[in-house]
Amino acid sequence: MADKRKRRRVEHHDSDSDADTAHLTPKPLPFQKRLKSDSGILTSLKQFADSIRDPPASSSTTKKKPLTLADVSPSLSATCREVTDLSLSSVQSTIETLFLFLTKSILSGNGFSFTVPSRSSSNHIYIPELDRIVLKDKSSLRPFSSVSSVRKATITARILSLIHQLCIKSIHVTKRDLFYTDVKLFQDQTQSDAVLDDVSCLLGCTRSSLNVVASEKGIVVGRVIFSDNGDMIDCTKMGVGGKAIPPNIDRVGDLQSDALFILLVEKDAAFMRLAEDRFYNRFPCIIITAKGQPDVATRLFLRKLKSELKLPVLALVDSDPYGLKILSVYGCGSKNMSYDSANLTTPDIKWLGIRPSDLDKYKIPEQCRLPMSEQDIKTGKDLLEEDFVKKNHGWVQELELMVKTKQKAEIQALSSFGFQYLSEVYLPLKLQQQDWL
Amino acid sequence: MEMGGSSESPSGQKKGKAKTPNKLKESVLKQKSPAEFFAENKNIAGFDNPGKCLYTTMRELVENSLDSAESISELPVVEVTIEEIGKSKFNSMIGLVDRERVDEELYDDYETAKAREKRLAKEARDQEIQAKNSALGKKIKEPSAAKTIKGRGGASFYRVTCKDNGRGMPHDDIPNMFGRVLSGTKYGLKQTRGKFGLGAKMALIWSKMSTGLPIEISSAMNGQSYLSFCRLDIDIHRNIPHVHLHEKRDNKDHWHGAEIQVVIEGNWTTYRSKILHYMRQMAVITPYAQFLFKFVSESSDKDVTIRFARRTDIMPPVPIETKYHPSAVDLLLIKRLIGETSKQNLSQFLQHEFVNIGKSYAERLIGEMGAEFSPKMHVKSLSAPQIVRIHQLFRQAKFDDPSGDCLSPAGEYNLRLGIIKELHPDMVATYSGSAQVFEGHPVIVEAGVSVGGKDVKQGLNIFRFANRIPLLFEQGADVVTRTAQKRINWGSYKINQTQDKIGVFVSIVSTKIPFKGTGKEYIGDDISEIASAVKSAIQQCCVQLKSKIVKRIQAREQQERKRNLSKYIPDASNAFYEVLREMALLHASKKKRYEDADAEILSKVSTRLLTKEVLSEELAKHVEKVDYQMALEYATQTGVGEEPKEDIYVQSLNPKSNFIDLRSPLFLFRFFQ
Repeated sequence: MADKRKRRRVEHHDSDSDADTAHLTPKPLPFQKRLKSDSGILTSLKQFADSIRDPPASSSTTKKKPLTLADVSPSLSATCREVTDLSLSSVQSTIETLFLFLTKSILSGNGFSFTVPSRSSSNHIYIPELDRIVLKDKSSLRPFSSVSSVRKATITARILSLIHQLCIKSIHVTKRDLFYTDVKLFQDQTQSDAVLDDVSCLLGCTRSSLNVVASEKGIVVGRVIFSDNGDMIDCTKMGVGGKAIPPNIDRVGDLQSDALFILLVEKDAAFMRLAEDRFYNRFPCIIITAKGQPDVATRLFLRKLKSELKLPVLALVDSDPYGLKILSVYGCGSKNMSYDSANLTTPDIKWLGIRPSDLDKYKIPEQCRLPMSEQDIKTGKDLLEEDFVKKNHGWVQELELMVKTKQKAEIQALSSFGFQYLSEVYLPLKLQQQDWL
Repeated sequence: MEMGGSSESPSGQKKGKAKTPNKLKESVLKQKSPAEFFAENKNIAGFDNPGKCLYTTMRELVENSLDSAESISELPVVEVTIEEIGKSKFNSMIGLVDRERVDEELYDDYETAKAREKRLAKEARDQEIQAKNSALGKKIKEPSAAKTIKGRGGASFYRVTCKDNGRGMPHDDIPNMFGRVLSGTKYGLKQTRGKFGLGAKMALIWSKMSTGLPIEISSAMNGQSYLSFCRLDIDIHRNIPHVHLHEKRDNKDHWHGAEIQVVIEGNWTTYRSKILHYMRQMAVITPYAQFLFKFVSESSDKDVTIRFARRTDIMPPVPIETKYHPSAVDLLLIKRLIGETSKQNLSQFLQHEFVNIGKSYAERLIGEMGAEFSPKMHVKSLSAPQIVRIHQLFRQAKFDDPSGDCLSPAGEYNLRLGIIKELHPDMVATYSGSAQVFEGHPVIVEAGVSVGGKDVKQGLNIFRFANRIPLLFEQGADVVTRTAQKRINWGSYKINQTQDKIGVFVSIVSTKIPFKGTGKEYIGDDISEIASAVKSAIQQCCVQLKSKIVKRIQAREQQERKRNLSKYIPDASNAFYEVLREMALLHASKKKRYEDADAEILSKVSTRLLTKEVLSEELAKHVEKVDYQMALEYATQTGVGEEPKEDIYVQSLNPKSNFIDLRSPLFLFRFFQ
């Protein structure tokens, strides 16, 4: 609805200006003159994409196959924990072994207790060599005989028994399904979701191996063709809405693409604009959004695209601390899911915009900028302390500028020059200048 | 003084209103006596409607009694009786007092001529309509007539009696103490319950307005061989007492104190709860007093008798009359002090009539005033502009804050006992703040917070006291209510604002309480000094309570641990059994092989030797064992019987023994001689 109205307004505006300024040339958008021809930009983009795909000889000698935790672990002070993809049968037998062990404990009158890896914030570490957050090996006991943990212990047992059923029947369910199997015990979906993450840590497998998926959140559009559970999907023919990113990444395959880059968009609205303007036809690309904080499926999908197609990833996020935070989750993982960061993170994402320095560079009017709240500034300063920000000098500078000016802006601030400014001028100019960090 | 001044403007307004009916009277300059002014604007003193009049009358008498007893350091014993007087009895009472009738008619004209005119006109109209209706053959016209009769006959009358063991009154002063509005003994600058000398007189004015019956006073002072009895009413127009009978009687019991009896119109049904609340809250803030409250109605089933027993014999010290703080005076006050002072020269006047001005400071001030001032100059010779200059300097100069020594807060000790005595809470904490200053007047804020108790509703129960009087009306706008509801984060003290029975008691004492509005009903939320003092006092109480509450939660966890653990046994054993059953099926169908001990367990499941019930049983046994261990551990850690038993107060048999008290805010040493 809103989009239709928006489009009509744009058209209306166009016809208006036509009538008034028919004898004049249409007023150019700011900075439009600086744009070179699309073909020029495309050539430079192609070179850039090629350099990513086939690194020059000089760097290829230094670049080995990607590092794993095992490679760096000897140099680490604390041992770290990581999960792997397990087959259904091995998940099943892990659960069975655990349950047999606990049953013996119950029968001998000792109750039962789970040893669950701690996912608290103190148990995380950022490893620069890997460029992602990993989980340390601290774990906590969850005994049935303590008032504080009896509830969680029971829920853990219940979730494990449900996963066991899934393994036997070999089917997938959503987190919501799981919650509804025993609402009375779980009370709240956040509780069953949290225990589900605990369980995958406990069993040492990824959450996808548990056959539990989250409902679809992310969408993709652009120059990519893939098969979803056997059906071929052409993402150029997905309309404005885009294709929902499938929750089961193991059913996705046969990736084909002629795109030059992947564009990661924070927000639905900007995604809609780019999809409607068919931005991917002007500059061949794949556009992805997770509508805010990314879910597991989107992160897995992005990782798959990046690793199989070897394309550069450019991110378009709000110019505020949360935009950068979202970027960091794609890049080096969230603390909540750090046990599986190896599978979820996509290294080397470029920060295209909107960057704090863009506010002045593109002369975004004052009324479109927002003052940062106390909370925003605090978040910004906290981010400056984070290792994943510190390793990128450009990011530190940008973030320092944001905290200093105390101004933030959303992607929509660009609409002050016209709704299509984003796709017509801003992004092409950015690509032309290769202005990313 | 202040009241006398303000009486002029309302009477002026009154004149303006009365202009229309009679133009001849317009130019006549009228004088209003203070009594007349208050009779017309009796809502100022809390006499809004019959119900509230009954409440205020009772309240004023009780407060006078307490002030009177405390002024001679006697533990107060106050007996209040409200007796309902039926219409027939009331009529016979008026019948007896023949002489009064004349006066009352005069009064009746004065008050309700308009009402009667209206009523007559309406009755005439009703009759007309009725006649019309009956002519038309309609019958239903009774209700309106019945209603008017009910409205006029519905007024109920009460005899309010209040007897105390206070100072009593000098025989000759009695008529003036009751029959002259704005005359009083409490005008000085000190913390008192009453202030304007209005209370008892307003009761008398109201009795005169509503029943026309005089007030009866019996009084005897300590060691006085006779008992003064006085029956009087007030000449409202001249603001002088009108004495019916004033005689000395025998005082056989060597009683001292006062007993005041007044008959007024009132409404017990609507103000019953307010009156009882008032008595209860008064009992909280004055636990050293003994109250006996009786309501006697014509039908004995509605009778109420409540006795609020004494809980302690320690009284707060008598408030001391203090001198004015330089920053709290106005021009008029300076003029008055100059008129009253016994000192001759300016320097002595400054030192003697104000607090916080020493000799050297007085001289510095005089030096600052200007060349025409000198320390030795005659204070009575100051000209009007010179006084203004003194006032200006008082406003600008810096003075030390007044001390709270002249105040008499209830004290944590008494507040705590009062709360315990009347509410029987599960736990209580009290806090007494240090003296604050508001506009040159010292203010002390004390607070108590209780949790649980009997006759306490869930959520916040606010008890407000100003100069040790309960405040019952205008609760919503009061600083205490606002603070307790909006600015205290009860959750952080483990108190549930909606579920727990929370009692919040805040007592504010000052030489001048900054009441809002005309009635002494509430203290506004706009005074930041008081608001922050109230907040911190309540918070201090909460901090004390928090540790107790945490301990209690732990104790409760101990008790409920077994139940909390057992609650999850079915779910847990179910989860285990489901997995085991599936595995047993796989094992039986040979899809999957298990080894030794594992196979043994699975075969037990298949043969139904190991069932859900067995798992539940084993878990229950385990819970039992753990619970026993934990309980033992808890008991060895905390010890048994940690909760103190409630101490009992036994009234001393011989209250006349001599002793010296050494006071501290928290305790008191009493040396018996």
